[in-house]
Amino acid sequence: MAGLELLSDQGYRLDGRKATELRKVQARMGVFAQADGSAYLEQGNTKALAVVYGPHEMRGSRSRTLHDRAVINCQYSMATFSTAERKRRPHGDRKSTEMSLHLKQTFEAAVMTQLYPRSQIDIYVKILQSDGGNYSVCVNAATLAVIDAGIPMRDYVCACTVGFVDETPLADLCYAEESGGVSSLALALLPRGGQIALLQMDARLHQDHLETLIEAAMTACKGVSKVLDQVVRQHLEEVSMLTGE
Amino acid sequence: MSPMKLCVPGDKLCSTEDCIPGTGVYLRHGYIYSSLAGYVLRKNEGEEVRGVVAAVGRRVRHVIQLPVISVVRETETQLLPDVGAIVTCKVTSINPRYAKVHILYVGSTPLKDRFRGTIRKEDVRATEKDKVETYKSFRPGDIVLAKVISLGDVQSNYLLTTAENELGVVVAHSETGVQMVPISWCEMQCPRTHNKEFRKVARVQPEYLQA
Repeated sequence: MAGLELLSDQGYRLDGRKATELRKVQARMGVFAQADGSAYLEQGNTKALAVVYGPHEMRGSRSRTLHDRAVINCQYSMATFSTAERKRRPHGDRKSTEMSLHLKQTFEAAVMTQLYPRSQIDIYVKILQSDGGNYSVCVNAATLAVIDAGIPMRDYVCACTVGFVDETPLADLCYAEESGGVSSLALALLPRGGQIALLQMDARLHQDHLETLIEAAMTACKGVSKVLDQVVRQHLEEVSMLTGE
Repeated sequence: MSPMKLCVPGDKLCSTEDCIPGTGVYLRHGYIYSSLAGYVLRKNEGEEVRGVVAAVGRRVRHVIQLPVISVVRETETQLLPDVGAIVTCKVTSINPRYAKVHILYVGSTPLKDRFRGTIRKEDVRATEKDKVETYKSFRPGDIVLAKVISLGDVQSNYLLTTAENELGVVVAHSETGVQMVPISWCEMQCPRTHNKEFRKVARVQPEYLQA
């Protein structure tokens, strides 16, 4: 198609990044005082807010209590002003439910739920501005919120969405690239052990390219983990300065 | 005190040969990793590991003390009532078979959120369990010290017991709304009207009595 070139001959993408370059990540922890843990994360133009409550007693249907672990309850929603056209149905639509389920699976792999039997941990994520890589930004924001809440985790969970164009993997897709017919793959990784928490793809990709794409996704996730690490350490230092240690 | 080291979830702290894991850490493949974002605390009162070494035909016992390593945060993480923990709870409703309570404190730590518990009729006291009347042991609004005996199954809440001398009603208000004074293990008296009411009273610890 003439016009939009996802990857130019010089190796630049639509927003001027190189193929393996991530968008700028800015994050803050402890945004809300009332919640047990909260975080705000921006990755390029995608902005997400994550809030964590818990662990507390099981609310709602008591029959879902697990006798040896905590139940993680995730809810993903998008603000009505987050997309180019006003979103008609922010909660309850199929995509949100699927995302919520993916987030739940991702965090069940990382959070040490065996320490809190018969209780519930709530993770609520809201996308304030959507510009591609929604799932990844949610996972990154939720990781920071869970750390802020003091819930023990095995490792950070870092996620990134990658795509494959012209035999090159592109890291951290934006909305134009995602909707431009790129085969996108979302990967959630526990960086230190190199363990994959969730891998999701619903596009067409040749089998031979899968290995390269996963490698590129893992490298991108490790890059994100470095940034998140810095944010957490800085927040810890700020908090200790305030409490006068 | 040496400056404490910052750590984040997933940081490798040391191997299991050097330290014993405490709170806020987990074990993986023989190494200790942090599971919280906070400060590393190494305490030297670890468990004693006795090793038996056979040396020149004699058995020599030597004692190795391993430090306990744990990760702490500024704010305390949510504590869950565990089996055997002494909890402070408030009675919300009573029934001839059990009393329902809201657990407010675990030990001396207040809970951010209330957990629900049940004290069954047979767990109110240790003797004469069949002659217990919950109406004469607790009333709604009483503050009770109890011990957790079970986390309960899918349907039920935490199961608590007051079947010890130091457990039972600590603070109770009479029907007139005045805080009552305990006079025996089964009675409390209102200071204003001098009415006696039945409760299963907790024995006051000697250190709290001002003689």
